[in-house]
Amino acid sequence: MPESKPTLLRFVLQSLGHMFRGPPAYWVWVGFLFALILLGGWHYYLQLRDGLVVTHMTNQVSWGFYIANFTFLVGVAAAAVMLVVPAYIFHRRDIKDVVLMGDTMAIAAVTMAILFVVVDLGRPDRFWHLIPGIGRFNFPQSMLAWDVIVLNGYLLLNVGISFYIVYNHYQNKEPNERRYFPWVLLAIFWAISIHTVTAFLYSANSGRPFWNHALLAPRFIASAFASGPALMAIGLQIIRAISDYPIRQSVINHLALVATIALQVTLFFMLAELFTEFYNEGEHAASARYLYFGLDGHAALTPWIWTAIALLCIAVVILMIHPLRHNPIYMNIAFVLIIVGVWIEKGMGLIVPAFVPTPIGEIYEYTPSLIEVMVSIGIWALGFLLFTLLAKAALPVHCEYLRRQQAREQCNWDGFERRHNAD
Amino acid sequence: MTTYAMVIDTLSCIGCGDCVVACKNENKVPAGLNRDWVVEATRGEYPDLETEFRSERCNHCRHATCVTSCPTGASHHWKDTNIVLVTAAKCTGCKACIAACPYDARMLMRPEGYVDKCTFCHHRIDRGLDPACVASCPTHCMYFGILDNRDSIVSRLLRARRYKVLMPETGNQPQVYYLI
Ligand code: SF4
Ligand code: SF4
Repeated sequence: MPESKPTLLRFVLQSLGHMFRGPPAYWVWVGFLFALILLGGWHYYLQLRDGLVVTHMTNQVSWGFYIANFTFLVGVAAAAVMLVVPAYIFHRRDIKDVVLMGDTMAIAAVTMAILFVVVDLGRPDRFWHLIPGIGRFNFPQSMLAWDVIVLNGYLLLNVGISFYIVYNHYQNKEPNERRYFPWVLLAIFWAISIHTVTAFLYSANSGRPFWNHALLAPRFIASAFASGPALMAIGLQIIRAISDYPIRQSVINHLALVATIALQVTLFFMLAELFTEFYNEGEHAASARYLYFGLDGHAALTPWIWTAIALLCIAVVILMIHPLRHNPIYMNIAFVLIIVGVWIEKGMGLIVPAFVPTPIGEIYEYTPSLIEVMVSIGIWALGFLLFTLLAKAALPVHCEYLRRQQAREQCNWDGFERRHNAD
Repeated sequence: MTTYAMVIDTLSCIGCGDCVVACKNENKVPAGLNRDWVVEATRGEYPDLETEFRSERCNHCRHATCVTSCPTGASHHWKDTNIVLVTAAKCTGCKACIAACPYDARMLMRPEGYVDKCTFCHHRIDRGLDPACVASCPTHCMYFGILDNRDSIVSRLLRARRYKVLMPETGNQPQVYYLI
């Protein structure tokens, strides 16, 4: 900690300093991510040069791998509320200490989500038409216009709140709850809204029966609250392993519990949907049939969706058996299964079948092109890099603050735990 | 809103595809893309089956979901009519309208990256002409006019004959009518 006055400039410089200092393993990791970003960037350049024709998206299947990843990431971003609510509404001290990491993850996820929309545009240079004020923004009619607002708003909210808290910690001040709490409250509702709006973007399309039903938004939120906490729990455990940031096991257990319940709800919703589609199978079930069983010999997605269902079922069984859920190895296996399962189910499994068959009954299958995959890997790497850098800058400040706070309270972690257990 | 409508007689269509060629010539539609197309469907119940040819295109919906879903206003109604156009310079290529159109009437002009579709040949309407597809039909099975005008050919045909529209259940109020 600097002895001189903690100004904003110093804070920024010090944060940058933290980002550029680290053991060799840190540099290997950052270098690796940089290489992937460059690779993705090169492939995006190819797409810019030649147009969307280099993707495998067609006039029939006009949204593909990019929008699939976008959908998944919006869920991850929204799931930060699963730390924010217990931390700020129920005042769980153990969670309050890590809530900053939840916000950081939301920032990274929402940034990736926005980038996935940008790379999906045929003419990204005209993106300014989507900026309120400058372009004629079709608000409130267009769901995509809503999405632009809620995603950017969510990003700003999270950046603002995290910055305020870290900066106060840096100045060795207790953040003024009266000042940030209203924004936290807003962010909680906002998190639900980013997900709802994204679901409405799909379910608003009356010509696509696969999306056009009321269960889509609830299902979105359920699967988001399964995959988001799973990803967050893995991230927190990694941070705990490589830094001295005190993350209590009770936080991980809390996330595991949330993921368990949300996964149960997700599977129940899925079952309800399968029943409705197939009990009296009509014309509108064609997309679902294509996804789950294949249509007229076309079944590119069928193995994927059944893999996803199998993964999710195994995960829910692991998480529902208490001794397994409290075993770190099984728990983490379940987390990985959830992440992969939801990524398939809510990504390609949700986006592509809506376009197959087309409204006039043609079947065009879709698999992403190499360029789409490389660009997507680049964006994921960018998100990981963003998270790494932000966490790297925020953690030392936060740890220092926690240490001082403990000294002030004359208590150590044992006392902390006793008190928490007494609650 | 002035409602322009197209009425197509499926009983006299022979499925020759002249409307498709006429549109490609008139509007310089690039190779591999089509603003209109002919569907060959089966009608009736076995054993009383017959082939139905339908020349399909954008339905210029009165309640156009492509227009409501477009975030930039690139998709819009032309001069307070039901004719739906896309301003290429404002189109970001986000494809929300493609997902929103229940009739598969939109296409992405690649690599230019904007969305294109049937315009009901509004440039010809301005000069008092019929759309190119209507003008080129060798069996005269396509008619074009203003639906609000009771004496127009389309109004009279719809009063006299049985007709259908495609997927009325979407609520889009499509304005291409098929005589059956
Ligand atoms: S048919 Fe499709 S593109 Fe044409 S107006 Fe209706 S919704 Fe829009
Ligand atoms: S692709 Fe173009 S016309 Fe279609 S919704 Fe997006 S901006 Fe509007």
